[in-house]
Amino acid sequence: MDFALSDEQKQIKEEVARFAENEIEPVAQEYDVEEKYPWEIIDKAADAGLLGAHIPFEYGGADYGNLESALITEELFAVDPGIGLSLTSTSFGADAIMEFGTEDQKERFLEPIPTGDAIMGAAISEPDTGSDVSSVSTQAEKDGDEWVINGNKMWITNGSIGDYYVVLCETDPDAEGRYNGFSQIVVESDRDGFEADKITGKLGIRASDTAELMLNDVRVPEENLIGNRGMGFLQQMQFFDETRTAVAAQGVGIAKGASEAALSYAQEREQFDRPISDFQAIQHKLADMHTRTEAARMLTYKAAWNVDQGEDITQLASMAKEFGSRVAVDVANEAVQIHGGAGFVNDFPVERFYRDAKITQIYEGTTEIQKNIIARELLGKGY
Amino acid sequence: MKVLVTVKEVAAVEDEFEIDGTAIDEAYLEYDLNEWDDYAIEEGVQISESEDDVEVVSVTIGPERSEETIRMALAKGADRAVRVWDDSLEDAEMLDVEAKTNLLAAVVEEEEPDLVLSGVQADDDGFGATGVSLADEVGFEWAAVVNDLELDVEGGVASVRRELEGGVEELTDVDLPAVLTIQTGINEPRYASLRGIRQAQRKEIKPMTLDDLGLSADVAESDLEIVDMYEPETESDATLFEGSPDETAGQLAEVLRDGGVGQ
Ligand SMILES: Cc1cc2nc3c(=O)[nH]c(=O)nc-3n(C[C@H](O)[C@H](O)[C@H](O)COP(=O)(O)OP(=O)(O)OC[C@H]3O[C@@H](n4cnc5c(N)ncnc54)[C@H](O)[C@@H]3O)c2cc1C
Repeated sequence: MDFALSDEQKQIKEEVARFAENEIEPVAQEYDVEEKYPWEIIDKAADAGLLGAHIPFEYGGADYGNLESALITEELFAVDPGIGLSLTSTSFGADAIMEFGTEDQKERFLEPIPTGDAIMGAAISEPDTGSDVSSVSTQAEKDGDEWVINGNKMWITNGSIGDYYVVLCETDPDAEGRYNGFSQIVVESDRDGFEADKITGKLGIRASDTAELMLNDVRVPEENLIGNRGMGFLQQMQFFDETRTAVAAQGVGIAKGASEAALSYAQEREQFDRPISDFQAIQHKLADMHTRTEAARMLTYKAAWNVDQGEDITQLASMAKEFGSRVAVDVANEAVQIHGGAGFVNDFPVERFYRDAKITQIYEGTTEIQKNIIARELLGKGY
Repeated sequence: MKVLVTVKEVAAVEDEFEIDGTAIDEAYLEYDLNEWDDYAIEEGVQISESEDDVEVVSVTIGPERSEETIRMALAKGADRAVRVWDDSLEDAEMLDVEAKTNLLAAVVEEEEPDLVLSGVQADDDGFGATGVSLADEVGFEWAAVVNDLELDVEGGVASVRRELEGGVEELTDVDLPAVLTIQTGINEPRYASLRGIRQAQRKEIKPMTLDDLGLSADVAESDLEIVDMYEPETESDATLFEGSPDETAGQLAEVLRDGGVGQ
């Protein structure tokens, strides 16, 4: 058993942390308040070669695995989750293309990601389809050599700023079995009939773009089908281990950022003629926050490492996601508490962490769904 | 063309630390790439990006731990690296300018670079002399505190701008082969890209001992001795100017003039 990061992994962490501190921290509050997409930071990250970490080498990426991606996510989210998500999500949906795409699709859709020339997204959720992914109702019908797509996709990260999306559609409504009859199709945002409505007023991760997509008779060439017709849901499901582990890493990052901010504030702030870190009540909070952050980190790294070994880790990935997101929410809450009144305004980053943390319990499967999965696996109930 | 960039891993102390005799306990030290060297690497890599057939070799003197630092140079675009170390160096209390000059001179003889870029100084011991001393030893031309560089590879000339005291700058031409000591601000050092970090793992870091360099253990002997180490007393004195920008600018100018900063 080996618990140490390699020198290479340490270098990744260090360099990403340096970027986050120099380029993101000074502008994080501004993007949060104005709820605007951080184009300027995306450009800088593209120049610095920090985008598309897991895209294969031959398509311009660094070919990094889930553990390295988790380290990158952790460092970015420890500084600002909104901009962090904007950076890590430019390749959302790329997994499916990497695994099931044709050579031509890989060149068209993967190559522009690391250079920052394109931003993509994964469009699964709909107004009436959230936790129950198998109820997707967006229709794709074959017409000659084209797919004609109709339906609405809801809550899509990068929806109003992206260039293309891997859209989960129903292609064969008559297929037998709950999970059959769906397909993953790439839809470009410049197609006729594609419209996106930016969703504003978000509680947190406000720099990240979220939108509703309206697809009205959008025509895409048949070459935009990823993998096999009718197998879209099952293809999608293969990446839950990856995506859930990634959200677990987001939680670890938020907990790290919040717990470190609380530690330094507690040593500076004085009351009753001494730093508040002299009070045992505060000490115990700090001890608990840092312990739980470390526990979430270990669970996340273990999940990421196992995915990289090619293991199927449904239960472990759900445990990491559920625990990591819960720790993020709890630790951010205590970090605000330690800041007192100063934590209630956005002069300090903990106010933002407190709002940003919540999303990690909602997207990529809610806390309740993760617990359902863990219990199902424990009880051997299948799905 | 070959560019040799000298880099050093420097020690930085944490906010709170303890001095034990004439040294600081390892527990309070963190190691990082010397700030000036980061600019020297960037300058070397930019040369290799704008000219054909340039090899950038990075050299450091340091224990195995310093490979982490030199790998950053490789991740940013240096082609390969040389790391000089030896058990007999391990025991030396301090490597002074003369020792480093002799070690680096041996590397220069081995590598035969056209251009050597070093940092103006190191952030920890701050001698600020190694680059120029090296030039003297190997008989290269040199320019110190360079904050702008234009290279005429075919003509074999480096046109440099040097920072002198009192805000004065000098423009001068230096014939290659030369050693230039690079000042911060000459460029904007890049971040190591993820691909670069990945690729750096497969680049060569060649270890070289004193034997390999044809040197003997007495190279580390020094006429210098550290006799004391203490934290200097610090005092701060802040003057706050109040009023309109017009008024405060005038007041500030006066202070600067009195302090000998302005001309
Ligand atoms: C900022 C943001 C970004 C997003 N980005 C994307 C994206 O890029 N792509 C994408 O496709 N989607 C995205 N989503 C959607 C996200 O994945 C869904 O919001 C999430 O899956 C939950 O679905 P829902 O909102 O419909 O909630 P619902 O499914 O309606 O859930 C409501 C509540 O009911 C509970 N519940 C539901 N079913 C069960 C059950 N069986 N047992 C117990 N409790 C249950 C849930 O846990 C929750 O508490 C994003 C959402 C947000 C807010």
